Amino acid sequence: MIEELFQIERDAYKDSLIHRLDARVKIAIAFAAIIALVAVPYSTMIYTVGAVFFLFFCILWCCTRLSPVVYVKRVLAIVPLWGVIIFFQIFLKNKYYTDYHVVMSLPFSISIYAESIEFAFILLVKFVICISFIILLSSTTKMQDMLEGAARMGLPAEFALALGMMIRYLFVFGYMYRKINETLKTKCFDALDSHLPYRYRLRQLGYTIGTMFIRSYEQGERVYTSMLCRGYGRDSFLFVEKKPLKGCEWAVLSISLLFIVAVPLAVWLTTVRLF
Amino acid sequence: MHIPDAFIPIWQGAIYWIIALVFIALALRWARNEMNEEKLPLVAVLAAGIFALQSFNLPVSMGTSGHLVGGALAAILLGSPFAAVFILSLVLIVQAVLFGDGGITTLGTNIINMGVIGGFVGFYTFRGMMGMTKNMPISGFLAAWLACLIPALACAVEMFLAGTFPLAEGLVAMGIYHAIIGVIEGFVTVAAIYLIITARPDLVDAKVSTPTGA
Repeated sequence: MIEELFQIERDAYKDSLIHRLDARVKIAIAFAAIIALVAVPYSTMIYTVGAVFFLFFCILWCCTRLSPVVYVKRVLAIVPLWGVIIFFQIFLKNKYYTDYHVVMSLPFSISIYAESIEFAFILLVKFVICISFIILLSSTTKMQDMLEGAARMGLPAEFALALGMMIRYLFVFGYMYRKINETLKTKCFDALDSHLPYRYRLRQLGYTIGTMFIRSYEQGERVYTSMLCRGYGRDSFLFVEKKPLKGCEWAVLSISLLFIVAVPLAVWLTTVRLF
Repeated sequence: MHIPDAFIPIWQGAIYWIIALVFIALALRWARNEMNEEKLPLVAVLAAGIFALQSFNLPVSMGTSGHLVGGALAAILLGSPFAAVFILSLVLIVQAVLFGDGGITTLGTNIINMGVIGGFVGFYTFRGMMGMTKNMPISGFLAAWLACLIPALACAVEMFLAGTFPLAEGLVAMGIYHAIIGVIEGFVTVAAIYLIITARPDLVDAKVSTPTGA
C-alpha cells in the first residue's frame, strides 16, 4: 500500500479536464455514485444500473487521459481479498432469497445454488463499480487538494489538520520504508521465509516498525518546528480560504448528480411497471 | 476487517454511521482538549504509523497473511480510548478515500469496529491488566490480542446482520484467523511500546510505564 501511495500521487499530478476540476466536485460525484449504487437493493436491477454507471465512469476515465492499465492494476490490488468472500457466496444461502435451486452438488453436503451465484454476481458488480469511483477520485486529485476540498465541505478543522500532517508523515514513512526494506533485502531477510525462525522474524519486524516510528517521528518533529516558524500551526485549517465553484464546475456537478439520482430511479420505475 | 461498500445495506450503514458519529464527536472533543502543539506531531505520526502497520502483511499459516489493527497501540500510547477513535478514523478515511480499502457507506462500521471497539477494548484491558499484574508486556499483549479479536467478531456479526455472510461460519473463520493475527499484533504492540518507552519515554502517556497503570 505504501508503494501504491507514490503511484497514486504521480497520477494525481498529471493534467486533464478531470484533474483540473475542483476537488469538491469530484468528491461529491464519487460519494453520490457510491451511495446510489449501495442504495440499489440486492436485485438484478443492479445489472442495468451498474452498466450505466460503469459507462459513466468509463467516459470520465477517458477524460482523465490516464491509461486503462492504471485502473486495472488498482482494481486487481483491491479485489482479491473480498473477491474470495464474494466467491464463497455461491455456496451459501442468505436472507435475500426464499427458494434455492441446486445447480451442483459437491462432497461433504456442499451445494452451489443458482440464487447464490446471482447474489455473488450482484455483490461483485456493486463492489467493483464503487471501487472504480474511488480510483477515479484518488487518481485525479492531489491529496492536498482533496484535504482542502474536504475542509471547505465542512470536515472539522482538527481532522483536516491532523490528516494534513498524517499525509506528510505517510510520505516520510514511505521513504523510510523503502530504505529499511532495501537494507533488509541486502541482509537477505524475508518476513515470509519459513526457513527463518518465527520468533526471529517477529522480533525483526518489531524492531523495524519501532525504528520506522521513532525515526519518522524525529524527522517529522523537526519539520513541524520549521512549519511553526513559517506560520503553520494548530489553527491553520480554521482559516482555509473560501473558493466558490466556477460556472462550468457547477454545471458538471449538477448534471452528474442529476444523472446519478435519475438512473437508479428510472430503472426501478421500469422494473415496477414491468411487474 | 475493512468492510467494503456493498457488503452492508445502505440503511444499516446509516445506523452504524450515526453511532460512529457520536464517538467521532467525543474524539473531536478529546482532540480539542488534548491535541496541543506538542501532541499534534505524535498523533499524526501515530496515524501514519498505524497506516504503515496495517500495510505490513504478516505471515499466518498455509501461505495466508493478515495485517495489524493498531487500535490498542494508539489508545495505550496516548492514554485515551478516544485517541484510538480519532487516529483510526484518520487512517480509515485515508484508506477508504485513497486506496478503496474499506468503503464510504461502511466507513462508520469500520470506525466502530477498529476505532471504537478496538480502542476501548485495548485501553481498558491494558489498564485492568496493569492494575492486576503490574506487567507491561503481559498487559500490552493481552490488550492488543483482544483489540484484534473482538473487532473481528463484531465484523462477523455485522456481516451476518447484513445478510452477506452466515453467523457461525463468519465467527469461526474471523475468530480463528484473527486469534492468530492477534498473537502477532500482541508481540508487535509490546515490542513497539517497549522500544518507544526505551528510546523516547517523553512521547508515551506517563501511566503506561507506572506499575499500577492507574
